[in-house]
Amino acid sequence: MKEDIVVRFVGSAGDGLVSLGLLFGKILKKHNMNVLGFRSYQSVIRGGYNSYQIRFSDKEVLSVGEDADIIVLLNKHVAELHNPLVNSGARVIYDNDNIDLEELEYPEDIIKLSLPSVSIAKEITNIKVIKNSVVFGAISFLLGLDIKLIKEVIVEQYGIKGEEVIKINYEALDKGISFAKEKMWTPIWVKGKYEKARQMIIGGNEALALGMLSAGLKFYSGYPMTPATSIVHFLTKYLPKLGMIVKQTEDELAAVGMAIGAAYCGVRSATSTSGGGFALMTELIGMAGIEEIPLVVINSQRAGPSTGMATKTEQSDLFQVYGASQGEFPKVIIAPKSIDEAFLTGIKALEIAEKYQVVVIVLMDLYLSEQIATVKKLDFKRTNKRYAILEKAPKDYLRYRITETGVTPRTLPGTKEGMFFTGSSERREEGTSIASTLAGLPSTLPIRENMMKKRMRKMDVLLKELPKPEVYGSKDADITIISWGSTSNIVKEAITILNNNGIKANQLHLMYINPFHSEEVLKILKKAKETLCVEQNFSGQMRDYIRMKTGFNIKNSLLRYDGEPIVPSQIVNKVKEVVQNE
Amino acid sequence: MSNEFNFSIKDYQSDFKPTWCPGCGNFAQWRAIRQALVELEIPPEEVVLVSGIGCSSHMPNFLNVYGLQTVHGRGIPVATGIRLANPELTVLVYGGDGDIYGIGGNHFLHSCRRNVDIITIVSNNFVYGLTTGQASATTPIGTVTRTTPRGSIENPINPIAVAIASGATFVARGFSGDMTQLTNIIKAAIDHRGFAFVDVFSPCITFNKKQTFAYFRDKVMKVEDFGHDKEDFHSAMDLANRRILRNKLPTGIFYQIENTTTYEERDFALNQGIIPAKTDLELSDEQINAITEEFY
Repeated sequence: MKEDIVVRFVGSAGDGLVSLGLLFGKILKKHNMNVLGFRSYQSVIRGGYNSYQIRFSDKEVLSVGEDADIIVLLNKHVAELHNPLVNSGARVIYDNDNIDLEELEYPEDIIKLSLPSVSIAKEITNIKVIKNSVVFGAISFLLGLDIKLIKEVIVEQYGIKGEEVIKINYEALDKGISFAKEKMWTPIWVKGKYEKARQMIIGGNEALALGMLSAGLKFYSGYPMTPATSIVHFLTKYLPKLGMIVKQTEDELAAVGMAIGAAYCGVRSATSTSGGGFALMTELIGMAGIEEIPLVVINSQRAGPSTGMATKTEQSDLFQVYGASQGEFPKVIIAPKSIDEAFLTGIKALEIAEKYQVVVIVLMDLYLSEQIATVKKLDFKRTNKRYAILEKAPKDYLRYRITETGVTPRTLPGTKEGMFFTGSSERREEGTSIASTLAGLPSTLPIRENMMKKRMRKMDVLLKELPKPEVYGSKDADITIISWGSTSNIVKEAITILNNNGIKANQLHLMYINPFHSEEVLKILKKAKETLCVEQNFSGQMRDYIRMKTGFNIKNSLLRYDGEPIVPSQIVNKVKEVVQNE
Repeated sequence: MSNEFNFSIKDYQSDFKPTWCPGCGNFAQWRAIRQALVELEIPPEEVVLVSGIGCSSHMPNFLNVYGLQTVHGRGIPVATGIRLANPELTVLVYGGDGDIYGIGGNHFLHSCRRNVDIITIVSNNFVYGLTTGQASATTPIGTVTRTTPRGSIENPINPIAVAIASGATFVARGFSGDMTQLTNIIKAAIDHRGFAFVDVFSPCITFNKKQTFAYFRDKVMKVEDFGHDKEDFHSAMDLANRRILRNKLPTGIFYQIENTTTYEERDFALNQGIIPAKTDLELSDEQINAITEEFY
């Protein structure tokens, strides 16, 4: 019996693959399966070659999987393009009225399942998309899914469209099932009873947005850029209910500028973009740094450089964000690996920003931003706790008073007698600039030094609060695999495969990237028998970063930069090669 | 606003003495802004003045209000964020021609059409002063500067015409040599509902030997002196484009319309009376259910 199933829908932009994938995900969630889905696409609105792959299991699902058990070809054009990606043993469902697999020279070692979904749908209605429900019917037969649960999902999704729509969808489902039965398709996954459970199925960006909302996000500004835009889409959808500001701006400079303005007023604020927009934001990020204004900036990375491959994943902005903006200022970098961690990151980012009056950069990547997965109910925080904000201005108030932690409680505009000046120039404790007339005078040299120390000290204090990195997996492993961001869960899956193959591997996942637990990481790496860093870029940025922070030289790297997510088998093969060469 | 207003012009002034060259046009604006705030009885804690980079952008250092100096050209977006976060505040942007029309030009265009209730005052001296006298976006063609030793070969921007064409609802021009008029214009700008823009002829006595106080005194003419209809778009454009009064430099309110909604009145949170800066962080059960329902 298979442990998990991979289903791949192949179509063109405009075929409604996203809603198809989400609907199928919801059907599986209803069956209490764990689900992970990801769409591979290009930067076109109509046409092109798209695929939506969904993997599910009653066990943990950590990657979107490799070989497909079921491939659904939605049109002739993509059927032709998909040929080289068809794996042996796959069940290929296609509409034999317009696709001829012989003519397309599909491999012989597959199971061809013809399904005239268009003509079957036509017996019911003229609405074209109903063919998808015929396909769902046939798939549900193959997978032994519970028709009652599927119908429940259809009511939940389409109920609002009226009874007639429900009726024809039901009919299409039934016809799909009967067709598969008649043609004696062989079910490949037979489950008995499905336990019902209340899970969520949600995308990475939405989970991050929910995390921020949970932590009191009240201002969000952004300029559209794939793959960050869906955060703004999500927030905008619920705007009147949320009582917050969401602002599409004229450019990324305005996006980050407005977020800074709102944060200066005490509002928990964030902005998001991808690498190109982040590059435009950097000057103002430095300003937020020196002015000690809490700011959260999300960079969902995609394949660069420049416009690169706008719809493809990469983890190549580590050095961009680490080095962002001129000069030195405290800068927190957090890179979540999963939907759960994205939610947690949303909360932590806003809290850390306010508590330490620092810039927090959240490094997402396209694969995480755009994947959907099932998660246990997300835990919304219930707190109004504020940090380092003064309700009243104290006597002798100095906005930038030198403190032990580096954090100086601040007044917000509107507070009587709390007025202060802040600027992008170096300053005295009351805030006014020393740059224009005083810099370089002997009396101002210590002012500059103390202000730098005050700001940078915040990173040391914060580091103590951040969880120490932990190794996942066996202590006496033959190899330690280091990873960050969305590749970490793929590594975790590879580790299970390796262990089953008799190779003991463990994992170090790095979520808090700056400030960095150098000592603890060094300890872990020194204990490792062999080390391998897995990441999605050309030059091994995390490997180099770790060397810079710890002096430790990770010997092996697995790098992928063709735009597609790393798959477990790549990691397994690389580890075998490393371990055998020892 | 407080019931008893007992602030004087001195109360809006910080201990930091202005660092501008003696005789600089910015001094007049420093005074006019404070005078306008006193006359309108807006207490210092309710005022935020945001600037960019340049000589004029040092302004918030010298004021006792909430002052924020940004980086070059970014005063407008930061001020917009402040105003949207807390619409109870009076938010002013102050910068030079290089700051607002040059490097920050995109924000200037969009703030005109957006109509957020902020006031943008531009100290226009036709030159980059702080970097010792290079051509700016308003430098007239043919002008010799340190970056245009053979004379500037670009046409200057017409900020008044640009603002009107971009949808600004209050467009005015003042002159640093006329304190009374400048104060009145700034007062009207603050009182205006929606985006207000004031361009100020402000001579740079060090790097601009052409657009001097004497030059402007000879040329300026108040728009009210010839019966200009500030509510008429085409008259305002004609005036801005110098189709009339060709040999004069008109000052005063070129254009003002009040029968239109502001961004704040259109925004889905602000028009419910929500003030983001004063809102509870915590979401209600109802809100949480609304935003998570689609994921079940």
